[in-house]
Amino acid sequence: MSRSQYILKKFGWALLTIALVLILNFFLFRVLPGDPARAGVHDPRLKKESIEAIRVRYGLDKPVINCFETLNPVKVGSCSVNPLDTQFFIYMKNLLSGELGISYHNNRPVATILAERLWNTILLIGAGQILSIIVGAFFGMLAAWKARTSIDYGALATSLVVWSLPTFWLGIILLFWGSANGLPIGGKATPGLSSYPLWEQWKDIGRHMILPTLTYTLVYMGEYMLIMRSSLLDVLSEDYILTAKAKGLGIFQILRDHALKNAMLPLVTIIAINLGFTVAGAVQIETVFSWPGLGGAVFEAVNRRDFPVLQGAFLLITVTVILANLIADLMYSYLDPRIQAE
Amino acid sequence: MKQKVLYLFMALALLIAACGGGGGDATTEAPDATGAPSSGPVVVRIGWSGSPDTLNPGAAVLSESYTIFELVYDSMYELNLDGTFTLSLAETADMSEDGITWTFKIRDGIAFHDGTPLTAEDVVFSYLLYQNTEGYPWMGSYTSYFENIEATADNEVVITLSEPIPNIESQLVFLYVLPKHIWEGEDPVEFENEAMIGSGPFKMVEYRQGEFVHLAANKEHFLTPPKVDEAIFQTFETPDALVQAIKTGQVDMITEMPATAVATLEDDPNVDIYVGAPFAPTVTDIIFNQIDPENCPTEEEGGICTGHPALRDRNVRLALAHATDKQKIVDIILLGNGGPGLTLIPDGLGVWYNDSLTDYEFDLAKANKILDDAGYLDADGDGIRDMPDGSRSLTFRMNWPSDSVDGPRLAELLSQMWGELGIKTELQAMDPDALTAVCCPAFDFDVMLWGWGSDPDPSLLLSVMTTDEIPTGSSETGYSNPEYDALYAEQAVELDFDKRVETVWKMQEIVHDDVVYVIPYYDPNIQAFRTDRFTGWITDEAKIEFSDTSSLVVIEPVK
Repeated sequence: MSRSQYILKKFGWALLTIALVLILNFFLFRVLPGDPARAGVHDPRLKKESIEAIRVRYGLDKPVINCFETLNPVKVGSCSVNPLDTQFFIYMKNLLSGELGISYHNNRPVATILAERLWNTILLIGAGQILSIIVGAFFGMLAAWKARTSIDYGALATSLVVWSLPTFWLGIILLFWGSANGLPIGGKATPGLSSYPLWEQWKDIGRHMILPTLTYTLVYMGEYMLIMRSSLLDVLSEDYILTAKAKGLGIFQILRDHALKNAMLPLVTIIAINLGFTVAGAVQIETVFSWPGLGGAVFEAVNRRDFPVLQGAFLLITVTVILANLIADLMYSYLDPRIQAE
Repeated sequence: MKQKVLYLFMALALLIAACGGGGGDATTEAPDATGAPSSGPVVVRIGWSGSPDTLNPGAAVLSESYTIFELVYDSMYELNLDGTFTLSLAETADMSEDGITWTFKIRDGIAFHDGTPLTAEDVVFSYLLYQNTEGYPWMGSYTSYFENIEATADNEVVITLSEPIPNIESQLVFLYVLPKHIWEGEDPVEFENEAMIGSGPFKMVEYRQGEFVHLAANKEHFLTPPKVDEAIFQTFETPDALVQAIKTGQVDMITEMPATAVATLEDDPNVDIYVGAPFAPTVTDIIFNQIDPENCPTEEEGGICTGHPALRDRNVRLALAHATDKQKIVDIILLGNGGPGLTLIPDGLGVWYNDSLTDYEFDLAKANKILDDAGYLDADGDGIRDMPDGSRSLTFRMNWPSDSVDGPRLAELLSQMWGELGIKTELQAMDPDALTAVCCPAFDFDVMLWGWGSDPDPSLLLSVMTTDEIPTGSSETGYSNPEYDALYAEQAVELDFDKRVETVWKMQEIVHDDVVYVIPYYDPNIQAFRTDRFTGWITDEAKIEFSDTSSLVVIEPVK
């Protein structure tokens, strides 16, 4: 199979997966119990007419799809309605035209909400990812090079411990520690600084990032370290490394020119998968530190039956995960030409 | 080529890492956590766990939104912490002899934050907007008695009612006056109202959903110009963060905190804690499905009515009331921060609360005797009492909303307490929507643990026990008593305040006698402020609400 065929095939699968997820997303939220027009609001002041008006506004008065009025409770309806006038087709049509709808809860366009949140999440989780990759990969290399020494065992034990710490718990501990040391513990920025010079604002955001980024880095670096270490150990036992040593090359040169590239493959896989989930945000970290990211938005939307936000967020997450995997697939074919040949 | 891509990738990673690291470095210096230099504006920082759902007063549902509306907008009346009303935008309010026509004179010289004068036109525009927009969840119920609203002069509004009502203040108090020149032509539901031009004691500076609300003082306010320069509400999503934030001085006040955190802050010399009824008091209730099959809503209305027949017997409900140790519940769930409840009307409603009633004392022997005498004996010897005719055992389903923090503990405690009587309970938490579906008007449950938020006027909570509300889904118990219904109708048109109070007290007596609900407690609001930052918080009223206008306009920085 040629490279272009390989790429085309991968693209095809990615598109198909996205299409399936879109359809699944729609039904997933419709089989949840409850009426989003009430969203748990139980109040005599909420009049029947108001509920009806809310239903009409969000198109909830229309049948879910031909033959079904609602899916939970299952209520069979007429099968002969115009399919274009069902919630399913309106949803598909809107998605294809890039229309994500209006949040049931916040009365704002979903696209605006997600865009705000996405940027915050990328900022926080991006920094956390990069730091954890660098720290993890570095200690992984060090441990592999110094295999079976106290450095190796120390790094191994540390990464196993931090990797298995519950994120929420670690976050709370760091929150207590950080607040005692004068670090901000909530939000992305100190409110009310918008009239300050830009660099002051950035400094402020940086301060707010310390604790959540630290939590993220600690939790994730262990994984990278372990993978880097074991894959580099494999490579270092190869004959050509021995040859390189015999030629008298220095440590750094052997690692850079001979070992690292071959040891990168498993790490790239993990990074690609994790990068995809970056967009989903680390719900727990965002909650502990009140970080206004995507994870928090999803959490809140679940609680409030905010289907448009959930659909939008799930779409975004799906697309990024699939794209990240696609990129990883393509990277493999560069890192290891044997892969595309299968 | 392949190598280049790899290096490019790694270089990129390093570059981004360098930037990220740089951000981290800059942070180690200047720990100016609370911003504002001493010479700058006086900013009061408030920590809370929520955030407004929208700044559109018609479309909003959450109480956080109403907190902000109270600060940024004005309405005809101001609701005080003791439950009384005072005139706000209106200088005078005159009722006609028959109670149908109300004439309000608007004060002179009031302006919106953008400088436009506030006139009778704006008032009429706002009231009509609230009345005519069907997509507004609450507003329709506050304007339902208005037959005609018109501006008879630049500063005069005349409201004609469909019938005389005794509580026009509580109808008008949440009808915020909006600037016509801004709202005209906007879609009333979809308008996000981000600039939020009002006339209140604070004006909107910046709003970030889920992050903060930044307000500045309106020093020109006609009634209550604030002494501080700015107020900032910041959202903290976990209670631990909220408590740490006030402990370390990142905020000056917190509007809520869990009872479990009281011990942490109690010893702090710079923090004072206050427990009291919140601005909109809330009630936690134990609901008995006691609907008479005759009153069951029709199939079309959604009635199923599968409630346990024993709960229709007052003796059983009375025994359960005697077997409920409210003090223990308060001690365990609220850690002693609060007191036992009585009826659905909470003490936070001040004068409307009937404090002359004596509650059923906790007395297991008495409870057992009531059940024995009524014939609920354990016929088959399995340790669970049975119906007098032996048809089924006293096994009750007990449900509560899964998002309730206290629900599981309350259910567990009740299950133990009632178990002592030989009554079995099957506990199950339910999603709030699913709970609504089995609750009402389906009446497909036995016992439910839930709650109500209250209006300042008792009418709202009194209405949920009337027969009329059974098919609408507002009645959770299915309770029906013609005497009570008649009194409800009477108080709804009683213009004499004292007489109305008397009727409302009588109604509480009736539902207490009939054991319609058992009310374990009224939810307290636990708040705290830093004593070293601001002084003047109002701490001696029936309700304690530091985020209310009343406190925020009078507090001053500690010298």
